[in-house]
Amino acid sequence: MAKQTFTVGQVLTADQMTSLQQTAMGGGSATAKTASYTLVAADAGTTVIMNSASSTTITVNTSLFAAGDTVLIVNQGAGVCTVTAGTATVSSAGSLALSQYETGQLYFLSTSAAVFTDYTQAAAASGSMTSIATGSFSNSALSLTSISQAYKTLILIISDAAGNNVDMQFRLNADTGSNYAWVNLQAQDAANNRSTGSTSFQVSYPYLGNTYADNTFVLTLQNYTDTTSYKPLQCMYSGTGTSNTKALAWSVGTYASVTAITGISTANSLVSGSYILYGVN
Amino acid sequence: MKITEHNAATGEVITRDMSPSEATQYEKDQGERAARIAKLEADAKAKEALLKRLGITEAEAALLLA
Repeated sequence: MAKQTFTVGQVLTADQMTSLQQTAMGGGSATAKTASYTLVAADAGTTVIMNSASSTTITVNTSLFAAGDTVLIVNQGAGVCTVTAGTATVSSAGSLALSQYETGQLYFLSTSAAVFTDYTQAAAASGSMTSIATGSFSNSALSLTSISQAYKTLILIISDAAGNNVDMQFRLNADTGSNYAWVNLQAQDAANNRSTGSTSFQVSYPYLGNTYADNTFVLTLQNYTDTTSYKPLQCMYSGTGTSNTKALAWSVGTYASVTAITGISTANSLVSGSYILYGVN
Repeated sequence: MKITEHNAATGEVITRDMSPSEATQYEKDQGERAARIAKLEADAKAKEALLKRLGITEAEAALLLA
């Protein structure tokens, strides 16, 4: 039941009592939305269900809700639903994005400010991994932006990678400066690469070509939110070639920057693959 | 060349053309990569020719340097 203003002596119906009970038990009436939605005053105390295959937003504006009001948001659809500050301020300890089947609650501190809590993120324990971005790319480079600062470590896995030559180079925060120092070891090549002051972080196996399959990269970024120290980098590569030959490579390095990492991009000839980015608590 | 850009905060995914500066950097990266591969290939050929001239195998050469 949406928030009501009761009057002295008012008699509630059975339906109203049932609805009030539902709300008190954390449920409440729900309005299903299939497209982006801007909250209205009548949403106070209710549940908004988003059900869209595409990405949607829920916009929060001022002067609609009072301090203490809540709105529960359930994302039923496959498209990510993102709580968006319109004219109001929305704060959160984690992401404002709800993946499918995630639930979060807006709690209004005032008519113009709310705190959003993603129940799924709040339940994540130390050491747990949370998928924060997943998808695929084709005939393009890949760029992951606006990465949440709520985790301790990032792990990016790119699988089924393909290109003219698999020669993976990563850039952080789109930084093209000479801020990457690394050493790369290749299992089938005596001419190991070594570079300092490079303009990208590289894990390479230059002769792979398209004859190799199952190309997988696992990039690990520890302490990526640190704003006082350089960041350690590590990336492993494995692939399978013709005649079942194997290719292995491993790079370890340092990102010589005290800027927190909010973006990861590829800078090479890799043109397709699937990716999943995990945040580790 | 295009970029698939995934905003991890909003979940929005777009594929767009590279900006002029991104395209310039991409071409530079490709040029450097091609040069690096060409050097590796040239070194491999030179090594092979040297081993042939010396009449020893790669394993024997490694033994000499061990």
